[in-house]
Amino acid sequence: AGKAHRLSTEEREQLLPNLRAVGWNEVEGRDAIFKEFHFKDFNRAFGFMARVALQAEKLDHHPEWFNVYNKVHITLSTHDCGGLSERDINLASFIEQVAASLS
Amino acid sequence: MVSKLTHLQVELLEALLESGLTKETLIKALSEAEPYGLQSESQRAINALQTEKGEPCPDIPNLPNGMGESRVSEDETSDDGEEFTPPIMKELENLSPEEAAHQKAVVERLLQEDPWRVAKMVKSYLQQHNIPQREVVDTTGLNQSHLSQHLNKGTPMKTQKRAALYTWYVRKQREVAQQFTHAGQGILTDEPMGDDLPTKKGRRNRFKWGPASQQILFQAYERQKNPSKEEREALVEECNRAECIQRGVSPSQAQGLGSNLVTEVRVYNWFANRRKEEAFRHKLAMDTFSGPQPTPAPPLTPHSSSSLQPPPALSPSKVHGVRYNQQPASEAESSSSNHHGNSSMVTTQTILQQVSPPGLEPSQNLLSTDTKLVSAPGGTLPPVSTLTALHSLEQSPHTLSQQTQNLIMASLPGVMAIGAGETPSLAPAFTNTGASTLVIGLASTQPQSVPVINSMGSSLTTLQPVQFSQQLHPSYQQPLMQQVQSHINQSPFMATMAQIQNPHALYGPKSEVTQYTHTGLLPQTMVITDTANLSALTNLTPTKQAFTPDSETHTESGMHTPVSQAPTIHLQNQDTTIQHLQPGPRLTSSPAVSSSSLVLYQSSDATNSHSQLLPSTHNVIETFISTQMASSTQ
Repeated sequence: AGKAHRLSTEEREQLLPNLRAVGWNEVEGRDAIFKEFHFKDFNRAFGFMARVALQAEKLDHHPEWFNVYNKVHITLSTHDCGGLSERDINLASFIEQVAASLS
Repeated sequence: MVSKLTHLQVELLEALLESGLTKETLIKALSEAEPYGLQSESQRAINALQTEKGEPCPDIPNLPNGMGESRVSEDETSDDGEEFTPPIMKELENLSPEEAAHQKAVVERLLQEDPWRVAKMVKSYLQQHNIPQREVVDTTGLNQSHLSQHLNKGTPMKTQKRAALYTWYVRKQREVAQQFTHAGQGILTDEPMGDDLPTKKGRRNRFKWGPASQQILFQAYERQKNPSKEEREALVEECNRAECIQRGVSPSQAQGLGSNLVTEVRVYNWFANRRKEEAFRHKLAMDTFSGPQPTPAPPLTPHSSSSLQPPPALSPSKVHGVRYNQQPASEAESSSSNHHGNSSMVTTQTILQQVSPPGLEPSQNLLSTDTKLVSAPGGTLPPVSTLTALHSLEQSPHTLSQQTQNLIMASLPGVMAIGAGETPSLAPAFTNTGASTLVIGLASTQPQSVPVINSMGSSLTTLQPVQFSQQLHPSYQQPLMQQVQSHINQSPFMATMAQIQNPHALYGPKSEVTQYTHTGLLPQTMVITDTANLSALTNLTPTKQAFTPDSETHTESGMHTPVSQAPTIHLQNQDTTIQHLQPGPRLTSSPAVSSSSLVLYQSSDATNSHSQLLPSTHNVIETFISTQMASSTQ
């Protein structure tokens, strides 16, 4: 997988704005990012999750997520470093791409 | 075929396919595992696959790394009548007509998109995966030049040919996705898995270093030039990881890199080459300063025609390290335009050496001299990789400074040519009123100069990342400036140059002075001498920098005039004689030429404040002036 070191402040300043711009927010109380996705129906939502799941396996980095019908809540954080790392950024980017293609 | 799958099943199947699962694999898995029980279910799944092919199409252009391109078999579109793409059509991988149809659908869709957009996509894919154009050319039958122009510049390409390209693209994405998927498993199917190329030639692609890996290597090189095997292996891991990330795949799938997989041997060779390069540059540096070289002499003699005068008497005391004792007599060169290149080379070297007017003399053979130049220092050619290293990374420059100069001098005849171009023109410029002379020297003079320029352009690009430490000393500044000013006012040449320069007219003012050195992408070759030239020079440097639309439109000779105009602007402020370029000259290669002839401005260092620039400018000017003076003394 990618680098698991915690992102420095400069790196965050550089990488997070892009994600924030599309709706990812930092979670209070922990070093993680979160976003809520809505889809047309459960099928789309789960299809999205399936794609993300396959990629997560590939990247060896898994999200924390919750799903209710057409909603998917995703929280990304890296356990190895106890906070945000490159892996989260990579996965978030991929998630965005998939979500964009599905909506 | 009507699919009886539920929407969710369809979604899941699409997800699977997009993740790189191939149809055969899926079917095999289904039949082997048999937990699903009925064969009929597998059949339905297969049908579903076929009917669903249309859906992911819209995703394809946007999906990363070809993940979306998971359609399996190769497209056997031989029935398309695309005769010019026989190689790609003959691929046997077509496992199912539906897959072929799916691929065709994707290609159709791409064809309807804006060709330039798709071209950019394809190009970035090639870059991301470090795929040589040759591979595309071999499999598509397209003309390489045409392909390159289409991808880089947007040169139009006929639909049929674009179809071949997109077909290749679609298939390649699938192949690569498969490669990476199976990389960890070590499975190599008979598809072009372990080998990116169709087995047509049975040859793997040549290994190529990616930018990410090179960055890592250069950093390591700075730390230690001779890494042990363990360190090399660590670097191998690091590089492969970086390359995988660049391609958007997990580093655990490094085997999918195929021919571009970094191994210890590659790393070992890389370090060995860099060490050799450095030694060579060092050697050049030693030789350069070891005194007048015999080499230049012979070439000079033949041409010395004397229309110009006196020689080097002009060498400003400031100038030191005269490398060439170029007899002024060689002025004749001015007459021989052909030697512009040569003289430029001489000049360049001169300047680099901080040589004086000798630069004037046109070692006719500059062009041929490049070999001589190379040999002068030591008669050995630098390793080919030298150039690559020079222009590949930013980090490398740090240690290169002096050596770089020599290296550039020796190994980049183009650069020489640049300076040389000026020299000859200088002479005539002084004597003649033809302002055009200078430019002419570069452009008008002879066809030869043109090629020189062009080569220079390319060499400039290669030079870019090289950084020279500022060698000129500020002490020379003051007097120089004044001299320069006077010269500028007096010589028509300068006026011409000024006209030609017009850097800021071309490019919006940009404060790149600082940036310019920082990036390290800017060529650091110095040379050129007058302020006018300096401005032009600054234009030259950022060859590698993004070519702004402005610069692109303006560069005719292939010189990518840099964007950073800040230094130019400053220079111009000081030198009022520098005027805007006329559209005329600009249209020709001369403007670019002139700038190129100026030889690149050597950016001092990162800090690169204007004040710093000026000093260096002065130094440059100084050298230049000396040359000017030499010629004018006639």
